[in-house]
This record gives sequence, structure tokens and C-alpha cells, in this order.
Amino acid sequence: MSITEKFSSIRKGLLEFLVLKIISADKVYVADILKELHGTEFATQEGTLYPLLSKMRREELVDYEWKESDAGPPRKYYKLTAKGREQLRETSEYWQKLGGIVKNLGQK
Amino acid sequence: MNIVITVNLNGNAYQLEKSGYDVLREYLENAARQLAGNPDKDEIIADIEQAIADKFRAVLGPNKTVVVAKEVEAVVAEMGPVEDASGASDNSPGAAAAQPGAGAGVGGAAGPRAKDGAGDSPAGAKRLYRIHEGAMVGGVCNGLGAFFNVDVTIIRILFVVLTLFTWGAGLLLYAVMMFLIPVASTPTEKAAACGGSPSTAEEFIRRAREGYYEGMKTFHDKQAHREWRRRFKQEMRGWRHNFRREMRDNARHWQLNWRLHWGPQAPVMPGAWFALSLLKLLSVALTLAGLYAVASLVATGAAFGIMLPASVPLWVGVVGLLVVINLVVWPLKAMRYSYYYHGLYGPGYPGPFAVLWNSFAGLALAVLVVWLANRYIPGVHEGLEQLRPHLRHAVESFRQWWNGS
Repeated sequence: MSITEKFSSIRKGLLEFLVLKIISADKVYVADILKELHGTEFATQEGTLYPLLSKMRREELVDYEWKESDAGPPRKYYKLTAKGREQLRETSEYWQKLGGIVKNLGQK
Repeated sequence: MNIVITVNLNGNAYQLEKSGYDVLREYLENAARQLAGNPDKDEIIADIEQAIADKFRAVLGPNKTVVVAKEVEAVVAEMGPVEDASGASDNSPGAAAAQPGAGAGVGGAAGPRAKDGAGDSPAGAKRLYRIHEGAMVGGVCNGLGAFFNVDVTIIRILFVVLTLFTWGAGLLLYAVMMFLIPVASTPTEKAAACGGSPSTAEEFIRRAREGYYEGMKTFHDKQAHREWRRRFKQEMRGWRHNFRREMRDNARHWQLNWRLHWGPQAPVMPGAWFALSLLKLLSVALTLAGLYAVASLVATGAAFGIMLPASVPLWVGVVGLLVVINLVVWPLKAMRYSYYYHGLYGPGYPGPFAVLWNSFAGLALAVLVVWLANRYIPGVHEGLEQLRPHLRHAVESFRQWWNGS
């Protein structure tokens, strides 16, 4: 089993965190999120992203608004809610904690 | 050259090659399956359709109006398989619902649906109804045919034969059943009446047509459509052939029965009509006496001065009495019958024991009908209960008239 396979579920679990991070910077629409992740280890597709965003909206972490676009029909632009920002803060802290543990383990 | 199908993606029309359409349809159907149970399913599907539409628009231009199959495949691959995000946490009810479909793909998803279909029509759900569609009289035979899964023609023949053998009791039975059995009027009742399998010709044709049109819907390719129609016609032809043969067999059967009963009669013997009338009169008188005995037994517990022992239930007494009456009338009946058929004990004559057996069969049928009615229809039960004082009154007055004269 390759490393990427071993970590596939971890990457999947981290996706929500990454999406929160991307949305926190600016109002984005799905293609922006995909573009940011494209080429990284976390590259993903619409088939995964749309259900994830819908779940996050249901949990009131994100919200969207319709915006006209010059190249076709209106698009959904996502932004973080207050709850989403809070979640992002907590997750970032936790992630740093995890990173610290990983870094410090085995070092004497 | 390829066939082009126009699809509506979230409010916009796109023209796709047929094979590309198949790919897209499979993708969207799979997406819908994955999202089964997701509260935002429709919204997610709309988002996905919109994203696909955006990608299609990117490959189309003023001189290119059709999305070819390869482009559809590329777009679908780019979209990636739809995964239910709430399924990842494994705590939503939707996740459990989506799981079987996810594991087994198309076949697995069709499985539970097929099972549901079978569950709708177990043998127990079948009910006896009268079916007016294609009925000749009251739909009793039609309903029976549907219930027992036998061609209605066979049931009708059985009924006619029964009526002939029992000298009319079959008609009585038909009338009773017409009153007892409800008519299937709603579609649900009709479905319950027919159970799962086609039993009448009309039903068969209706289903075949339905299947035909259902099949047509799925064929957008002309070639496949033509092939399907050819096969359908062939099947219909084969079926019609079978049906005709069956009808011919039935007709032959029927003619045979007819000939058996109304076959060439022997020239009427001199004085035969007198003997016949006398015999008929005698048996009618005996039957009337028997009926009086039954009435008096029911009303007063005694017939011709013989008390029914207290340990014997009334219905046993009545049935026993009916049996006795049949036995008494039997020789008369047998003689009468023997006159009807050509020659004494001729080939058409069923024999004296058959006559007796017929009487008992009719009797058993009558007892069964009355018993069922008494047991399952409250009105009949009450009627029978009320009948008793009336009967007693009638018996009393008859007795007075008899003794007085």
C-alpha cells in the first residue's frame, strides 16, 4: 500500500478543514476552490465538493449567495458564517497541536 | 453519423451524442443513488448539473453545437464520482441507505427495488373479486379465473358443465356468488383481484402493451427500437397462436359435453311423456314433503313426529334429513333420467349412481354455501335466526290445515 493510499482517508477528513480555510480568505465559488486545491495532494472534484458544501451549509458553517457572472448563469458564492469561523479557529488550533505531537515524538 | 439527444441540464438545453447521453445518464443516476436520503439531494444534483452544463458550454462554440461522447466522458471524469459527504461520518440515516447501492453498483441498487415489487403482491394479498371488464354476466367467472390463475374460458366451461350436471344448481351458485363477492372497482382492488400474473386475455394484452411502451421509452436508437418492435410482434404472434389453439381445444371440449348431454334422443316411447310427468310429479311431491320435514325440524325440533335427540345438533339433523330425502327421490330421478337419454342405460346415460352422486354433490354445495353465508355474513346469520319463528308459524298453520281437512 502506497503512502497516498494509506493517507486517503486522512486527506478526505481534512478536506472540510481546507475548504473552510479557502473560503475564509474570500467569497469563492466552487471552481475557485477546485483551482486552489488543483495540483496539491488534496486535489478534488465537483462530485465530492458539492455534497461536502451542502453538508457544511446544513451544519451552518458556510452560507452562499447567488451572484451574476459574465460567463453564464448566476453562481453560488460561498462565505463563512460566524460558526464556520469559530470552527476554523478550533480546527487550526487542533491541527497545530497534532502537528506538534507528530514533530516532537521520537525525538530525544 | 450519430443520433443526438437533447437534454435539459438545470434549465439549459444541450445536445449530446447518444452514447454520450448514456454516459451522462448513468452518472446522474448513480449520483442520485449515492445521495438517496440526503436532505439536500435535489439541490446537490442541481449544482452538479449546473457544473456539467458549464463544462459543456466551454467545449461548445458557434460552429459546434453538439457535445460528442468523448467530451461527455471527459466532463464526467472531471466531475468525479459523487460521494455523499454525510456518509463519511457514518452517522446519518442517509449513509446506511446509500451503502448497499454503493457497494454493488447498478445491479445492487436494482435488487432492493425488485424485492419491493415482489413484496407488493404476495399470494396472501390476492382477493376474490368480481371483475366487470370482459365479463359476460356478473364477472364471477372472471374473478374466479383471476383468483385461481386459470383462463376464464375454462372457468366458464366448468360452470356450464356444473349447471348441466346439477340441473341448475350452478346457476343458483352463480347468483349467490354474485351477491357475496364484491366488485373490483378501484385499481388497487383490481390489482388484488389479479394478483401478480396475467390470467385473462385482456389483462395479458394490457400488460404486454404496457411493457411494449415501457420498452419503447428506453430506446432512443432507431435500430434498437426496430429490433424491439420486431421481437414484440413475434411474441404477440406466438401468444395469439397459443391462445387460438387453446380456444379451439376449449370449443371441442364444450361440444363434446354438449353432445353428451343433448345427444340424439331415442324416439319417445308411447306413453313416455305420461310416465315422465308422473315421475316428475311424484318427485316434486316427495321433495315438497321433505322440505316441510326440514322446516318442521328447524322450527319445532321434530319431523313427522320423530323428535331429534337432544345430543344431535340441529344442522346435523337438517343435513341428515336432506340426505334421506335425496335417497328417497333417487329412484324416481334415476328412472326419469333414463327416459331422457336414448335407451335405458344407453351410452349417454350416466348411470343411477352418478345421478345419486350428482344429487349429493349439489346438496354438499348448497350446504357449503349456506354454512359460509351463515358464518361470514352477519345479515344472513340474522335472517336465519329470524327465519325460525316464521317457520314455526308456517308449520303450525300447515299442520292445522292438514288435520282440519
